[in-house]
Amino acid sequence: MSTGAILLASALKILFIVLVVVGAFAPLLVWVDRRQSAMIQDRVGPHRAGFTLPKDVVKGFDALRLPLLGGSLFAGLLIAVSFAGLFVMGFAGFEDLGGATAKDLYRFALAMLVFGLLLRAGYAVHSNIVEAGGKITLFGVLHPAADAMKMIWKEDFVPARADKLLHALAPVITLIPALVSFAVIPFADVLYLDYWDQVLPVAAEGAAEAVALVGDAVPMQVASLNVGILFIFAVAGTGVIGAAIGGYASDNKFSLMGGMRAASQMVSYEVALGLTIVPCFMMYDSLRLEDMALWQAQNAWGIFLPPLTLAFLLYFTAATAETKRVPFDLPEGESELVGGYLTEYSGLKFGIFFTGEYVEMVAFSALAAVLFFGGWDVPWLYANGFDLPGTWAFTVPLTDWVVSDKIAVTHWVVIALQVGSTLFKIIAFLFLQMMIRWSLPRFRYDQIMSLCWKGLLPIALVNILLTGILILLFD
Amino acid sequence: MSSSTLLFCVCAFFALAGAVGTVSARRPLRAAMALLAHIVALAGLYLTLHAQLLAAIQLLVYAGAIVVLFVFVIMLIGPASETSGSGRAGMVRMTSLVLMGMVTVTIAFAIVDTDPAAPRLPAGYGDVEGVGGALYTQGLVPFEIISITLLVAIIGAVAVARGKTAVEKQIEAKEKARAEVEARLGEGAAPAPAE
Repeated sequence: MSTGAILLASALKILFIVLVVVGAFAPLLVWVDRRQSAMIQDRVGPHRAGFTLPKDVVKGFDALRLPLLGGSLFAGLLIAVSFAGLFVMGFAGFEDLGGATAKDLYRFALAMLVFGLLLRAGYAVHSNIVEAGGKITLFGVLHPAADAMKMIWKEDFVPARADKLLHALAPVITLIPALVSFAVIPFADVLYLDYWDQVLPVAAEGAAEAVALVGDAVPMQVASLNVGILFIFAVAGTGVIGAAIGGYASDNKFSLMGGMRAASQMVSYEVALGLTIVPCFMMYDSLRLEDMALWQAQNAWGIFLPPLTLAFLLYFTAATAETKRVPFDLPEGESELVGGYLTEYSGLKFGIFFTGEYVEMVAFSALAAVLFFGGWDVPWLYANGFDLPGTWAFTVPLTDWVVSDKIAVTHWVVIALQVGSTLFKIIAFLFLQMMIRWSLPRFRYDQIMSLCWKGLLPIALVNILLTGILILLFD
Repeated sequence: MSSSTLLFCVCAFFALAGAVGTVSARRPLRAAMALLAHIVALAGLYLTLHAQLLAAIQLLVYAGAIVVLFVFVIMLIGPASETSGSGRAGMVRMTSLVLMGMVTVTIAFAIVDTDPAAPRLPAGYGDVEGVGGALYTQGLVPFEIISITLLVAIIGAVAVARGKTAVEKQIEAKEKARAEVEARLGEGAAPAPAE
């Protein structure tokens, strides 16, 4: 593979990560967080930003509603007619009805199903717009965009005696490590460019050696590093400094207290976090995240191995504390510290701090997915397609189409499914974290510290020992 | 220019800039940030030398722990840390110049002595497996000695930093009360104050 192609592939991968994480995950998480808070606190919340269509356009939409509904109903009728035709063919034993074979009827019914559903969805969208008087809010998802615009044009206030350079540097130091840690996270298995539109050849069962794949292979992660997961911890460690100097440079006692709390909390939990995942390295026998995902795809997901189940619980607790989320959000505890280290931040600097926090959340969720939930692994999906449990096959009536437990899937579809699986797992973890947010009250500061040093750390050490013993016993 | 030369030039520039910033910054926190830049650039330099594990550890230990410790101390001391240095600046400068000269001469001799034909790196040089293998086979005894030294240091730190335990406080309070009573008895005639 030429240097240019490698550079192009890397640029595309970086673009994908930035678009998905900063462009989609972070703003949506901000919105979900605020919307959920509003619901709990019985406020209207951020879902009103939108733009209004002109009156004439709304009238046009109104006029289109009836044809759309009629069209979808007509498509449904056509589906019923084609199935009636299939029944007639089946019972009367005709090969075809007026030139249309059974296969044609199935295809027609499927096309009508898609077409009818699209028309029905169009009807729903048009009705919503007309009922809202032409105002488009997209369930409130436009609100993050409005928030971002507000932050860009808001006054960037810096306290008079603050250290202006460090005040500006702090949000950047928070955001960059969180983003960079995505470099080693694998989003899918290796993509073989020469086979992209074929089913990947795989060695037959019991064959001595694997099929040699030729051509260019593109790993679905930005950087495949030997140190793997250590890289994530190495860069994540510098994130602490952002909150700390942000608190110091603001020249505000509340900020200083918040910064100190953030620094001590994050440094403490980093130690615990590092130790909780040591059992994973021991089990998967590698530090590379792509090897870990592959091991889990070939054997079992980490969460189903007893020592790693415990490790996951410890990891999730420590990661929540590391991202300073409720119930560990002492550094910005508004009841004592106004806004903690964020007190003197406004405008885009505040926005960058906020984005950094959410990006960190996504990063730790992605890490949890790779370490404990198989990474890109889709259950029963292999490199050459699905192999569902059991051995079965049936023929679609009146045709020679066979559906069986083995479904061949083209290589690029496999890769796309794996990327989707990774994203799905990340979203599941984010959902879990959102649910925790309003379920648990905030800890006291000494409780947080004793939980880390007297709770998580000893358990993590014992877990490492336990994993070692288990590996020695069963290996 | 190959990509590793480019990486070297960029990293070396930032390492030098960070080092100069660290010694020349007037505010201690800015000096700490310059040190952070220097450390990150140094990790990049380790990468050009095929020392991946060392680069990661450099970031993990120095950027993630040491600089955080510096920042923490500066924050605890607060504005008092922003006073200017001692009055013997000239003396310090002279000493540091002499030391710098000595280091430069040593490095220059080392460079002149180096065999220009680069030795071939063994497989696995600088990666996790290589360093781990060397550490646990060739350097096992020093490794264990260092571990025990660190453990002693940790226990010492805990012993120094730890306040008095509840039991110790109780014993101390009892002794104090007994001393008071004895002192009062010694005075003899003095009547006990009405409670």
